[in-house]
Amino acid sequence: MGIDVSVDVEFRRKIMDMHQGARLMYCYQCNHCTYDCPISKLVGSDVYNPRKLILHSFLGMKGNILGKKENPALWACMTCDTCDEVCPNDIELTNIFYVLRNLSVKSGEAPAAYLMQAKTIFENGKAIPMSGPIERRRGQMGLKSLPEAPLDEIQTILKERGVDKVLPAE
Amino acid sequence: MAEMKLFLGCTIPNRLPFLEAAARKVFDKLGIQTSDAPFACCPEPVGFHSIDHEAWLAMGARNLCLAEDEGKDIVSLCNGCYQTLAVVNHELKEKSAEKEKINAILAKINKEYKGTINVKHFVHVLHDNLPKIKEAITKQLSNLKVAVHAGCHYARPSEILKSDDPWKPQKQRDIIAATGATIVDYELEKLCCGNGAGYYNKETGTEIAKQKIESAKAAGANCIVVNCPACFQQLDTQRGLPIIYLTELLALAMGEDFNSLNMKFHITKKGDGLELKSL
Repeated sequence: MGIDVSVDVEFRRKIMDMHQGARLMYCYQCNHCTYDCPISKLVGSDVYNPRKLILHSFLGMKGNILGKKENPALWACMTCDTCDEVCPNDIELTNIFYVLRNLSVKSGEAPAAYLMQAKTIFENGKAIPMSGPIERRRGQMGLKSLPEAPLDEIQTILKERGVDKVLPAE
Repeated sequence: MAEMKLFLGCTIPNRLPFLEAAARKVFDKLGIQTSDAPFACCPEPVGFHSIDHEAWLAMGARNLCLAEDEGKDIVSLCNGCYQTLAVVNHELKEKSAEKEKINAILAKINKEYKGTINVKHFVHVLHDNLPKIKEAITKQLSNLKVAVHAGCHYARPSEILKSDDPWKPQKQRDIIAATGATIVDYELEKLCCGNGAGYYNKETGTEIAKQKIESAKAAGANCIVVNCPACFQQLDTQRGLPIIYLTELLALAMGEDFNSLNMKFHITKKGDGLELKSL
């Protein structure tokens, strides 16, 4: 698999501007993040490699991160925050990965399961909606019905951010 | 202790209500007062945060506003909800530019985030009540050999959450020890349950969960005690070792049993010399 060495300055600026992105420049590629990453361990660091994600973000090598649908190099992470804790330079890797994923969503490259969850939240206000059998089971356990969040409030917030525009049609 | 807003999240009330019932029973026994509010999804930190950071902040801030309106802190029964709400609260308290941006969104629903309350995990709250817990315990659970699983989003990122040791959380251990159960150290204690990997690849998540359970078994544990419903589901569905949610454990030590706690809804009811029914 070849490496795309072209640099996208705009992409680099976007990453650096957001959150604590500027801390990226302190990364000296010690590989501690990848060494301790449970996903890298399991799927191989050639498939998922947090050190390379940081390197390519820092250098603005957008082509190695974006431009691919459901790219495992970006989406295999389970956000366990292990890399954040072991990084000797306090780089907030997971926060940077969220920025990259947000960009991937805008490019229409996010995995279906992520978009489906967002759709469920948009339509129900909850990631897991209540169901009839569970409602009955709650009653049997003596649990009260819970107050529900007004859906118009949730949808107003999400529309303000354009989340409705990235949701799958069906 | 002042009344707190109970943040149940999505998984517990809508999938695992027996865990909600166990938590409410333990809170009642300890005199911990909580009330409900029309909270929405926290929102979920693995999936929804990946969609849009600002939408994640604004949804989290809306939930925080409901507790702020009543001047009450939030107590969460779930690691994911705790991490989301605590990190959103931290970010908006620390960064005024972010707060302004999010409040511009919240203004559309006539809400304003102020930054006046704190977010706690239920383990913190229980730990603050440790002397009361010790008084309320009527039965020593000395046949339990517990592998502790604290989950990723309970204490990480530690520079923000600052609530417990990110690698070997102590508060949960102190609470488990009070029940007379033996805590068993195991090699993969720090490992994630694998739930978050399931969005992208279910097999990867399952493999991680299986490795974790095997490691606990190899060290001689006969159950795993968890403090998060996502970890509970992920580990319980593997059928390796019985998984016990922390408030279930406490309720058992306070005189409740398999039937009164509806533990029939656990998928893994026995394993390695322990049967939940016998507790």
